[in-house]
Amino acid sequence: MNRDAPGGYAGHILRVDLTSGKIWSQPWTPEDMRLFVGGAGLGAKILWDEVSADVAWDHPENRLILATGPLAGLPVWGTGGLSVVTRGAMTNGGTSTQANGFFGACLKYSGYDAIVVQGQSGGWVYLYIQDGVAELRDATFLIGKDTWETQDSLQAKLGYSGHQMSVYSIGPAGENLVRFSAIAGDYGHVASKNGCGAVMGKKRLKAVAIVRGTKAIRAADPRGLFQTADEIAHDLKTNPTTKSLYEYGTLNGVLNLNRIGALPMKNFTTNVVPEGTDMAAWEAPSLRKGFDHRGHQCNACGMHHCHMQVIPTGPHRGQIVDEPEYEGWAGAGWAIGCTDPVAISWLNTQVDRACVDVNEFGWLIGWVMECQEKGYLTRNQLGGLEVRWGDAEAAATLLQMISHRQGFGNVLAEGVKRAAETVGGPAMACAIYTGKGASPRGHDHRAMWSEMLDTATSSTGTLQTGPPVYPTEFGMPARINPFDPEAVAKNVGGHLGRRHFEDSLGACIFTTRSLLETMCRALNAVTGWEYTKEEAVRQGRRTAALFRAFDLRCGIGPDLEWPSARYGSIPVDGPAKGRAVQPNWERMLDVWYEVVGYDRKTGRPKPDTLRALGLESLIPSLWGA
Amino acid sequence: MSTRDSAIRNPQSAIGHVTVEVVAWVTRFVGGDGTRRTLFQEHVAADATVRSVLGQVSDRHSALREALWDAAGRELSEHIEVLVNDAVLGLTHTLDSPVRDGDRITLIGQYTGGSCGK
Repeated sequence: MNRDAPGGYAGHILRVDLTSGKIWSQPWTPEDMRLFVGGAGLGAKILWDEVSADVAWDHPENRLILATGPLAGLPVWGTGGLSVVTRGAMTNGGTSTQANGFFGACLKYSGYDAIVVQGQSGGWVYLYIQDGVAELRDATFLIGKDTWETQDSLQAKLGYSGHQMSVYSIGPAGENLVRFSAIAGDYGHVASKNGCGAVMGKKRLKAVAIVRGTKAIRAADPRGLFQTADEIAHDLKTNPTTKSLYEYGTLNGVLNLNRIGALPMKNFTTNVVPEGTDMAAWEAPSLRKGFDHRGHQCNACGMHHCHMQVIPTGPHRGQIVDEPEYEGWAGAGWAIGCTDPVAISWLNTQVDRACVDVNEFGWLIGWVMECQEKGYLTRNQLGGLEVRWGDAEAAATLLQMISHRQGFGNVLAEGVKRAAETVGGPAMACAIYTGKGASPRGHDHRAMWSEMLDTATSSTGTLQTGPPVYPTEFGMPARINPFDPEAVAKNVGGHLGRRHFEDSLGACIFTTRSLLETMCRALNAVTGWEYTKEEAVRQGRRTAALFRAFDLRCGIGPDLEWPSARYGSIPVDGPAKGRAVQPNWERMLDVWYEVVGYDRKTGRPKPDTLRALGLESLIPSLWGA
Repeated sequence: MSTRDSAIRNPQSAIGHVTVEVVAWVTRFVGGDGTRRTLFQEHVAADATVRSVLGQVSDRHSALREALWDAAGRELSEHIEVLVNDAVLGLTHTLDSPVRDGDRITLIGQYTGGSCGK
């Protein structure tokens, strides 16, 4: 342990150079801990400091940063959090993507706050960590295995099971550099955005396995920490919004989003539920009761959120899968026209096991289905495959073709934007993507302009602000008209920072849905600091500014902040019918830039903004001496 | 689905009814089990507004009152989404817009999409 580090920190970063095979431990300073906290914040700083403009996502000198935060491994719920930060394959820019399970806790118990991987191995390896000892080991025996098989193999080989060891790995998709491949671990947790799996695959790092170590994590005020952890748990159990998350995770999403027109259906070609669909089956209790299930909680978590379940009927009867999150139901289901919960549940786990981003998967397969229906893609092009709306088995075949880059799967492996550019013609107009190349999350953002604006302006490969949590805590309105461009932009810009702060703590975004002031009290009980909610937002905005500066250095600027034709199209039916975002787009950008303090023309955070965030050192790089 | 009629406070002034549809999770706050829908047929007066209709229902269900309104009981809190005739509040109606005979007010849970891995 670094004895200078505040409570909650191991105080060391594990550095791994795959080219030389060198591994070393690097202390970091209490000043940087206070400024960047951990997770996304720490990752953003390292990315800015160490990855130059000429180091593209597939360059050996790109960094793959696996970081947790000061709450990880402590009794606040859901504190096994992992942030993956890198220069990602989809945008060739900044990436911040999160997963949970046990990784963050195991890493801290082993004496590290983060792992920074650089270089490229000559052959396939995995990183093994046990109580401060780290080794690169031959991974030849794991090649070709999916993420669940990889975890099974490593547990069997190393003699650990259950929560004794956390394993995060890439699947066949990452091995084959599928551009939207992900990193998954602990059976069902996925850091999915911006092709972080391809970065790991390019480095020939198949997996990271961390034995649950024995190193203690000190809290500055243990009694205060337990009290605050209890308060957060109480909030999650009793608050009208989070109570549904507490009991059913994100299962309520399908029903709720459908009512406001934000459930993506058939590649955005409709927003009307197919006739004969039993929507009662999509109520959270019904969805859960439809499967034999049991809890699959993350570290120290009391939520009834993550579950494993058994496929009850059909060709895959008896298989164990992870209960889809809302975005699994959307990406492996509604977006491709599939409304059968059993088929979706099975397909969603196949996506996790091959290990690609389920959002991009949904946009891509939905695009293939629409293009084949309209004759823009022929059966011959797809190797004789007929891919009709809702056909989960055909989608799974495509998944395998993509993961192994077989036939047309090699084109699809580049993601829907690049695949559409390759096919060209009218197929281009059917593809859902952003100008930067990031995948929209699993909603129909034509009914959620806030998330479309957030996705397009973000510098992390996914949205960076997310839906507001307790907006009134910051004097923001409890609700806005979702189609009022000015209100939307003020809301998205005004909330910038909170999500990055949460992603720096080493906790799950669903267990941090408490007042920000309460989350600060948890942080303070751990570290002995006196973090205020204003300082928390500044930390989050500091993180956002670093990602923004990094993207600008990579050549990714405001000229790419737009939705594709289909992504920004006008819904033809459903609750958002006729709502046109495009005529309001420039106005929304104007307001957003004003609110966040960035220059509208160049996209740069203004000097005053940088000074207010304690990032004066960036001014010469962004604005000249 | 269950349907319940509201008590008519002043039958002489009632000009019609507004349906309040409580969906799935939100039925927990009106005595349901979090599934299906509960419909209330609210008899309304000529000067009824979205606010007054929601007030009528939440006066009968204290759990809904707590979830739907802010601490002062004057403005909606952020937990429950309100739709009027399938349009999110703010589009065609505000809280103080008048309602008409046959209107439908829907209460659904706040959007909780997403995933813990992201």
